[in-house]
Amino acid sequence: MNNGKKRLGYAAQNVLLIVYAVFALFPLIWMLIISLKSDAQVFTTTFVFTPTLANYKEVLLRSDYTSYMIDSLIISGGAVVVSVLVGVPAAYALARYNFHRKEDLAFQILSFKFAPEILVVLPLFMIYQKLGLYDTYLGLIWVYQLISMPLLIWVVRGYFEDISVEIEYAAQVDGYTWYQIFFKMLVPLIKPGLVSAALLAFIFAWNSFTFPLILAGRDIQPITVAITKYLGTDTAHYGQLAVAATVSAVPAMIFALCIQKHLVRGLSFGAVKG
Amino acid sequence: MKKRLLALTLGVSMAAGMLTGCGGSGDAPADAPAADAGTEAPAADAGTDAPAADSAAAGEFDWKAYEGTELDVLFSEHTYADAVEAKLADFEALTGIKVNYSSMPEGNYFDKLNVELTSHSGTPDVFMTGAYQSWEYASAGNLEPLENYISDASLTNPDYNYDDFIPGVIDALKWDCVPGHAVGAGSQWALPMGWEVNILTYNKRILGENNLEAPKTAEELLEVSKALHEFNGSGTYGLAVRGLPDWGTIHPAYMSMYSTWGAKDFEVVDGKLVSQVDSPEAIAMTEYWVELVKEGGAPQWSTYGWELAGADLGAGKAAMMWDADRGGYTQNVAGASAESGNLAFGTIPYPETAGKTEADMKSNLWTWSMAMNADSSKKEAAWYFMQYFTGPEFMLWSGTEGACTDTPRQSVLDSDEYKAAVADAEGYFEAFNTVKETASIFFTPQPYFSETTTEWAKTLQELVVGNKYSSVEEAMKELKQTMDAIVSDLDVE
Repeated sequence: MNNGKKRLGYAAQNVLLIVYAVFALFPLIWMLIISLKSDAQVFTTTFVFTPTLANYKEVLLRSDYTSYMIDSLIISGGAVVVSVLVGVPAAYALARYNFHRKEDLAFQILSFKFAPEILVVLPLFMIYQKLGLYDTYLGLIWVYQLISMPLLIWVVRGYFEDISVEIEYAAQVDGYTWYQIFFKMLVPLIKPGLVSAALLAFIFAWNSFTFPLILAGRDIQPITVAITKYLGTDTAHYGQLAVAATVSAVPAMIFALCIQKHLVRGLSFGAVKG
Repeated sequence: MKKRLLALTLGVSMAAGMLTGCGGSGDAPADAPAADAGTEAPAADAGTDAPAADSAAAGEFDWKAYEGTELDVLFSEHTYADAVEAKLADFEALTGIKVNYSSMPEGNYFDKLNVELTSHSGTPDVFMTGAYQSWEYASAGNLEPLENYISDASLTNPDYNYDDFIPGVIDALKWDCVPGHAVGAGSQWALPMGWEVNILTYNKRILGENNLEAPKTAEELLEVSKALHEFNGSGTYGLAVRGLPDWGTIHPAYMSMYSTWGAKDFEVVDGKLVSQVDSPEAIAMTEYWVELVKEGGAPQWSTYGWELAGADLGAGKAAMMWDADRGGYTQNVAGASAESGNLAFGTIPYPETAGKTEADMKSNLWTWSMAMNADSSKKEAAWYFMQYFTGPEFMLWSGTEGACTDTPRQSVLDSDEYKAAVADAEGYFEAFNTVKETASIFFTPQPYFSETTTEWAKTLQELVVGNKYSSVEEAMKELKQTMDAIVSDLDVE
């Protein structure tokens, strides 16, 4: 009787999980299907599907799609690298040291995420024009710190706080220098949090639209700005748009798959404190 | 401590917001500074980097006069922009002017352009604009008036032939910067690259299979649209029109029918603009429109822009479309859509019950045009760019081979090459020629165009898909108050 109930319970769980999986994946599957359809089939009222690679050829071979992707990779990757290099020491300082108005400073860093991008972009545009940062990789990597840095600092700070300070003292007693402690002991311990925060920062930077639209867009065009070109000028090429969107999701997916084991551990690590 | 920091953060944010708002073109004063600029000789603003200004000063037009200058050009992606891009190398070879060209889709274009103009950075030197947007930009002093360039023999090619532009189109880009004053007088703020009349496009095959005639009157349009509800199963419908909550929904079909019905958006009363959207004509027309969309429009009408309307017509999902002629024309080009070759063009369905006839047909027009940044430091070179790409030679090419069939030049329209180029589109040439006689901009020029028309479109959405109002009259009376409040700070003379 109990076994029967258990089996029924498992079956119900599986059915619900399948329903949820279909629900969650449906937009992606639908986008994939549209990318393989001709324009004429996209708008039919009945489901007609004759797969074609014409949209992929048009987008990947006959347009500047690759250069848009490279721009996005350089800017988003560069932004994450800078955030990690600057953010990890900052997070450590906020976690370990007590200094005047520490919490205010931490809140100030977080508040960079609060301001709507469109609110600050006009003064930034004028400053960038004056400094020669307009439409440059450096300019965009810099401004992307508003997106990636606060997230990284706040997540990594939590991880540093979870590590007992006595571990550092023990290492010091064993003769390690501060730098050795930091790189050989602390960084490996925070690695799960660091990679998950870096992945999220990368995704947020990758998806950013307003900053690259206003502060670049001529020589440098990340994929978020360039993608609407595929909509067309006189008619809507939803097939090409779907290709551009589908392929643009690939780098983040590869990144996520590569660090999957850290990601799961990173998101749950520190959830229960002893 | 935290409270103080929060207050400081909010203060900085508000200050940034005020900075953004103060520079916004929408807040421009009525006494537009740019209006005075028209009296200045263009040479007074000559870019300091103009290397060969001497020849221009000597009174001889010379394409090479500004050789070596670099221009920044920002365009919205469109067939007109594609045609310009295709001939950029020819322009650079002729003039020696280097063009840094960039373009982006219309949805993002105005966001970027607004920031660049508001910052007064001087870039781009030349950009695309519509007539409605030019009211805001001209009021804010962002546009360089062009009449002095056009009339200067040393700066303008003798073959330019300004008078060749179709009067309704070129006049749509003139305005004296006084809110409430009609277009057609004042400075020339931009030059047309192409223009669109809003006419009915219908699918001959679908109408024929359903034993229906192409509608000529508003009453016939309603009847045919109703009859075609789900003509080929779920999702198919009679008439595609726009429904998004922005100005784009008001300006094509709705405004054409609204004006044909005899209604107006504003009147000048005691030196103030007063909305007329609650007039009997406006209410009657809107009641008709709401019924038309509910009974014969797309099931997801409120999400429709020109892209979806055109795509549905091309896919055979919609039997008719009332939108820019260009939208239907491109769907009809061989191989462009499932229904290419089946589309034909009508004109403006006029309301017989309101006592209107063919003579009352009015098509609200849209014109993509080229304008010069008032902050540009390379105005003469920018003018060279503008005159080349609005000149008769380029426009004959773009109108016949460059897919820009809605040409703003009469000489192109009259040419045999043009007639041959549009021969495949049944009724197109006739419709374009008929409607162009009365086509104009039927909105009252004022710098709050975007705000007032967005409110108007939102009200239409409420009437069609919402249940906020018990009647069209109630909705239009409320809309009138909203529009009056928006324009309340404008003084008309």
